[in-house]
Amino acid sequence: MGRMKHGAFAILPLAAGAAVYGFAFGLLAAQVGFPWWGVALMSGLVHAGSSQIVAVEQFATGGAVLGAALAGAALNLRYIGIIASLSEVLRGLPLRVRLMAIHITGDENWALTMAKRAHDPGVGFRFLIGSGLVMITVWTVSTSMGAVIGAALPDLEKFGLGFAFTAAFIAMARGLWRSHAQLLPWVTSFAVTGAVVLLEAPKAYAIVAGALAGLIASYLIRQKGAGRR
Amino acid sequence: MTSSHWILIAVLAMAAFAIRVIGLFAGDAIRASRFAWVLDDLPGLIVVSLVASSLAGQPLITWVAAGAALIAALLTNHVIATMCIGFAAYAALGWFGV
Repeated sequence: MGRMKHGAFAILPLAAGAAVYGFAFGLLAAQVGFPWWGVALMSGLVHAGSSQIVAVEQFATGGAVLGAALAGAALNLRYIGIIASLSEVLRGLPLRVRLMAIHITGDENWALTMAKRAHDPGVGFRFLIGSGLVMITVWTVSTSMGAVIGAALPDLEKFGLGFAFTAAFIAMARGLWRSHAQLLPWVTSFAVTGAVVLLEAPKAYAIVAGALAGLIASYLIRQKGAGRR
Repeated sequence: MTSSHWILIAVLAMAAFAIRVIGLFAGDAIRASRFAWVLDDLPGLIVVSLVASSLAGQPLITWVAAGAALIAALLTNHVIATMCIGFAAYAALGWFGV
């Protein structure tokens, strides 16, 4: 219990940051028609901020439901690596505990657990679960509160609320930027997506086409690099 | 909520959990495979495509506000600050009739 409590308290500064993001997401979701309890349900069941914001934006701009969900889910692919890195932390636990632990694992409590564990091998699944329970609770409550306020506000779309989503995507891209090796694939994705939208194809197709074109560019760059070696 | 809202939540929840379960049972094998780079690259490419899809065909004001948001993102690397500055720039440009 001590380690769980330690995790729950240690995550509070990061949870406060997530709460601000959660509040903003809830506000946007309410403005495009989600009730507060729908936002709470989504936050509790999905527990992935950037995925939720992408899915809600795609849904609100007329995208197909399945396409919106898959676009959101694709942002979560990094969790394959994140969860894989927890294999030592979760080893020997019953399956139901491991499944609960991976659901409440988010970027913040994963990073904190791994950072603390690097200095103290005693930090393990109890710390992960204590911090994760705080994170999913704060995320669900803050998004719901944002939705309650968002529903009470007038329609902000006339002030360009939709642009808040674009700005959020730009911020996410900044967060995902790692090195100059990404530049050409990213420019390729941007250009192909833009061209397909201008050809008046549905946006979901444009996004898939852009992402695939970027992957091809990345593959070719890697092949070229491997050829040089 | 309409049935579409429910389906969106259900599919997104299932997909998000499935990705975590894949990480639990096959994460190490996938990370060691020759396709591991796709996992690293795809999220960024999708986000860039989302930015492009929301800017293509839009008026100059949207592009200028996106430029302001990009500068904010580069300087702060903070989602909320970028959203606030981008939205404020967009609203201000609209207010002044640009």
